[in-house]
Amino acid sequence: MSARKEIPCASSAGHEVPESNSLQNRIFPAAAYNRVMRRERGFSLIEVLIAFLILTFVITMSLAAFVERTRRLQQASEMILAYQALGNEAEYRRRMDYSSLEAQPVAFVSDTVLLEPLTPFGTAVKVDPAGNGLKTVTLTIRWRNGEREARLALVRADTGGSNLW
Amino acid sequence: MVRRRARGYSLIEVVVTMSVFGLFLVVLLVLTSEMRFYEKRLPVNFMRHPQVSIVLSKLKRDVMDAHGSDPYRAEHDGYTMSPNTLILESIQGNGGVQTIVWDFSKPGEVRRRAYNVGVAEEWIARGVPPDFSSQVVIDAVGIPGRPYGVRITARDAKGRMAIDQILQPRAHE
Repeated sequence: MSARKEIPCASSAGHEVPESNSLQNRIFPAAAYNRVMRRERGFSLIEVLIAFLILTFVITMSLAAFVERTRRLQQASEMILAYQALGNEAEYRRRMDYSSLEAQPVAFVSDTVLLEPLTPFGTAVKVDPAGNGLKTVTLTIRWRNGEREARLALVRADTGGSNLW
Repeated sequence: MVRRRARGYSLIEVVVTMSVFGLFLVVLLVLTSEMRFYEKRLPVNFMRHPQVSIVLSKLKRDVMDAHGSDPYRAEHDGYTMSPNTLILESIQGNGGVQTIVWDFSKPGEVRRRAYNVGVAEEWIARGVPPDFSSQVVIDAVGIPGRPYGVRITARDAKGRMAIDQILQPRAHE
C-alpha cells in the first residue's frame, strides 16, 4: 500500500501554505497556477460584451476614417482622369466652326481611352446660345451610374473666322 | 482531495459574443470590399506627385507659348525628336524666342534645356516616379485648322493610362 501524503492547499484546507515553500509548488508549478486561477472568478458576460463593444467601436471608427480617406483619394483620382479628358475635348471644341457648333456630335470626339477605369461612363456636349454672338459649350462626363459628374463649360465667341481663341 | 470545477461560458453566452464580433467583421468586410474594387480599377495618380505636376505645368506653358506655324524641331544640340524627347521653339516673357528641349529618356528624371542665344539653361526634375518618366510618350495631335499640338501620355506599371493631355500652341499675333 502506497502511503501518499495529502498536501494541504488553500481551497481545501482553509489555510494558506506559503507558496514558495510548498512542495506541490516546487514539484508541479502548473498545479500551483491552476490553484491560484481557481480563486479567480473571471469576467462576466456583460463585462466581455462591453469590452468587445468598445473594441469594435474604436476599430470601426479608425477603419471608417481610413476608408473615407481612401474614398476621397479615389474620387480625386477619378476627377483628375475626367478633367484631363474634358481638357482634351475642349481643345477640339474650341477649334470647331462657330456657326456649326450645334451640328457637331453630342458625344466626345476626342480619344476617351483615359476614361476606361470609369466604365461605364457617358459623355455629353450641349451648346446653348448666350446672346451677343456668344455660345456656351458645356462638356459633361458622368460615371458610376450618374452618381459622379465632371463638367467644363466653354464660351465661344463669333469672331467671324479669325483666330481669337 | 482537490475538487476542480471548470465553469466556462454557456453556449448562449458564446453565441451572443460571437454574433457581436461577426457583425463587426461583416461591417469591416463591406467597408473594405468596395474600396479594393475601385482601387484595382484606377491607374496610379501621377498628378499627386508634385514633381510630375510641375513638369506638366512647365511643359504645357512651353507648348502654349510655342512660336510659329511649325514650332517643332527635328534636332537640336545632339537631341533628336522622339517619343520621349520634345524640341520646340517657344516665346519668352521678354518676347524673344528660345529653343527648348524636353528629355524624358532617363528614368526618374526629366530634363528641360532652354537655349537662349546659344546659351543652355538646364532645369532638372529629380525624384520623378520611374514609372512615369519611362512610360511617357510624346506624340503629335492634329486638330483641323490648327498647327500640330502635342499629346503627352503616360501609363503606370500595369499599363493603365494615367495621363493623357493634349497641349496646343496658342496664337501670338
